[in-house]
Amino acid sequence: MGWTADADRRWMPVAGLALAGLLIAATGPALAQSAPIRDYAEPALIDSRLAVWVAAQLHLDFAAFVLAVPMFALAIEVFGWRMARRDPAGAARYDWMAHEMARLLPAAYSLTAISGAFLGMLLFSAYPRLMAYMTETFGPTFVIYPMFFVAETIFLYLWYYTWNRLQGNRKWVHIVLGLLLNIFGTIVMFIANAWATFMMTPGGVDEAGALISLYDAVWNPGWMPLNVHRLIANITFGALLCAAYAAYRFLSARTEAERALYDWMGYTGNLIALFTMLFLPFAGYYFGFELFAYSATYGVTLMGGVLSWLFIIQAIVIAILFIGAAYYAWLGLLRIPGSEPQRRMVPVFNVALIAGFMVWATPHSMAASIEESTGQFHPLLGALGLMAPKMIAVTLILVVLYVSYLLYRRAGKVPVVPWARTGTQVEWALIALMALIILGLGIYGYFAPADIRIKTSIWQILVLIGGIVITFGIDLALLKGAETRAAVRWGTMPRRGQYILILLAFVIVWLMGLMGYARSGARLNWHVFGLIEDTSVSAGLPTLGEAAIVVTAITLIFFVLLGIAFAISALSGRDTLPEFGDEAREAAA
Amino acid sequence: MSNKPGTAGRNWLPLPVGSALIIIVAFILLKSVRPVIPHSVILLYMGFIVLGVVIHITLEDTRIRRFWDFFLAQPGEGGVLKVQRLAMLALLPLVAGWWAYDSVRPTYAPPVEIFQRHPTVGEATLAQIVVPPWALVPANWRDSDIAAGKVLYVANCAICHGDKLDGAGSAAPGFRYPIRPANFRDAGTIAQLTLPYVYWRLTIGGLQNQFNSAMPRWVAAPGDANASSLHSNDFTSDEAWQVILYLYRETGYTPRAE
Repeated sequence: MGWTADADRRWMPVAGLALAGLLIAATGPALAQSAPIRDYAEPALIDSRLAVWVAAQLHLDFAAFVLAVPMFALAIEVFGWRMARRDPAGAARYDWMAHEMARLLPAAYSLTAISGAFLGMLLFSAYPRLMAYMTETFGPTFVIYPMFFVAETIFLYLWYYTWNRLQGNRKWVHIVLGLLLNIFGTIVMFIANAWATFMMTPGGVDEAGALISLYDAVWNPGWMPLNVHRLIANITFGALLCAAYAAYRFLSARTEAERALYDWMGYTGNLIALFTMLFLPFAGYYFGFELFAYSATYGVTLMGGVLSWLFIIQAIVIAILFIGAAYYAWLGLLRIPGSEPQRRMVPVFNVALIAGFMVWATPHSMAASIEESTGQFHPLLGALGLMAPKMIAVTLILVVLYVSYLLYRRAGKVPVVPWARTGTQVEWALIALMALIILGLGIYGYFAPADIRIKTSIWQILVLIGGIVITFGIDLALLKGAETRAAVRWGTMPRRGQYILILLAFVIVWLMGLMGYARSGARLNWHVFGLIEDTSVSAGLPTLGEAAIVVTAITLIFFVLLGIAFAISALSGRDTLPEFGDEAREAAA
Repeated sequence: MSNKPGTAGRNWLPLPVGSALIIIVAFILLKSVRPVIPHSVILLYMGFIVLGVVIHITLEDTRIRRFWDFFLAQPGEGGVLKVQRLAMLALLPLVAGWWAYDSVRPTYAPPVEIFQRHPTVGEATLAQIVVPPWALVPANWRDSDIAAGKVLYVANCAICHGDKLDGAGSAAPGFRYPIRPANFRDAGTIAQLTLPYVYWRLTIGGLQNQFNSAMPRWVAAPGDANASSLHSNDFTSDEAWQVILYLYRETGYTPRAE
């Protein structure tokens, strides 16, 4: 890499940070003024709530991306580093992929800083009284936050720009840099989460809102659940965006080798997303559980009241995510020439998945016209709309996805261990048993009182996890040293699979926007729940239709900005592609 | 993958016709369920079914080819196949046309209500509701209050909500839209709610708009502009609390902690 190319790349983050600094400096005087504080203003000349909504969601989208990518990119880098001795070519490929994912970071990081600065400026100028209170309450964290932010910035650029220099014996230094980047990034997110969750579930203050304990204000009831939820969701989000980037590069690839590598990158991104998505519903329940425990009003608002229909939309969107990811995985079988026996099973999975999601998305109370309404729960749909059938559906969907993955592993391979036949039979019998137990527990829970029902749903999850651990252990042993009849032909994935990856990226950004609206809207007429009331002209909760339009607009803006960021990062030229011959492809599979 | 040219021509049930049949049969089955499944839910289900069919067709390249080949005339094909193709080509615009017509034709039905089981109420409103000390702790509820609540319930509420509190009072079948009187024995009603919320629902929160609920207001607060002559002065505040305590004690539920 020449000096000029480096210099070209480096102005961007510097410019971004300089602009962020200027904006923060511009908002500083608002804090320092001793004049009486106004309640509201309209600095953006449009509805301030709308302006803050757009800025906050864009900032969150970019922040989620730049926080998540270093996590799995580092994991991939470490994976490659560990295999360097026994398989240098394989290690080079993993290093290439991690670097390719990290390539998206610098420009996206500048946009995170810029959108954050806009958000800060808008908040301080549009909601002076609220922000004066937040500053008074969280003063010290407002000082610490930029320090960690700067540390994150330094380590991000160090990690990214020293990639080629710190190879070989010095790779461990690079790994440490990546680790520190992730630690600082996570701290930055945790601090910002403290402010956001304080507004939902304030702690550490007296009834008038005066600060008693900063520790309790930070570690308020909603803090840790949101930390966990965002950490996992960010990885899903970042992985799907990386997969979409890989899809784009696949579609525009000029050589077979390039296509093969980006096919592999897209596959990896989708796999990471699918794996983390499995945990998200439970992280969501944990967050919701804490909110309900904090105030019953949240429970009523979110689940029975004004936002209850939002969760039906969420269920449909999540279904699209899972079905899309599964569809991509099934299409992946086309890459393996000897996969005909596995492909024969796919229609059965398809029916199971669609039927499962029909149950999962069935509303308990429905939107019915006067002709359709019976005034009661529908005898059939009312039963399907309850927690127990939905738990059966969602857990069995996870079983189907897991079995799809097992079949993908098996495609084109012949086990050589002497107990292969018995082992396969035991493995399938255990999976069938797992599905039966999940079904049985669900049926038992359906007829049991609510407290027992909640316990049976926890047991269903435990059976699922236990079943996966045991059968996957058997599968690993079964396929040890398995004979490969046909290697995965990376780069032969149909183009429609790549469009699915792009669709999934759009869907996850949209879903994140929708849930951002739910989290913020659940406070209803409060800036800080129960303490500072929203008395602005735009205090009313937007309708679902209005929210959907705003969320769609935010998603489009995000993709335009991200596209520009990616285009800028592409200006820096491309690394030499690692070798990806037949043997290497087989190893990657 | 094997792709035999002309496979579509020899297949007695070509892929597009099979797909259309699955969609049509699913639609007819959903439409024939009684009581009727609301249009919104049928739309949701059909969306999933169509998605499943599209996934099935596009999972294999050969299937995609078979799907499109059906729409091209093959030399020497039989009359049955030709009829099927013409039927499919006629069906698609007819369905699209009917859908367009159905979405714009005039109807006299009230707007579809997205029913909220527990209407959202601001925390500020709930905070103004003070639970009397004698109603606060379920363990301290007095039998006399519950007995008084029962008398009031039987005289005023049971006609709709039922003697057994199951929402099956003699007047209940008269309420059809958007929902029948609440069944308090259902775990989704009072068991999920706090005392101030139930009080709000009983005294002022029943009637949200003209299509939402027929539940009257039962207590008129001093200066309440929305008090009507129908039932608003039937209960005093204490009487409303006695009825609420009776609901909980009789169903065995306890109010959710605030």
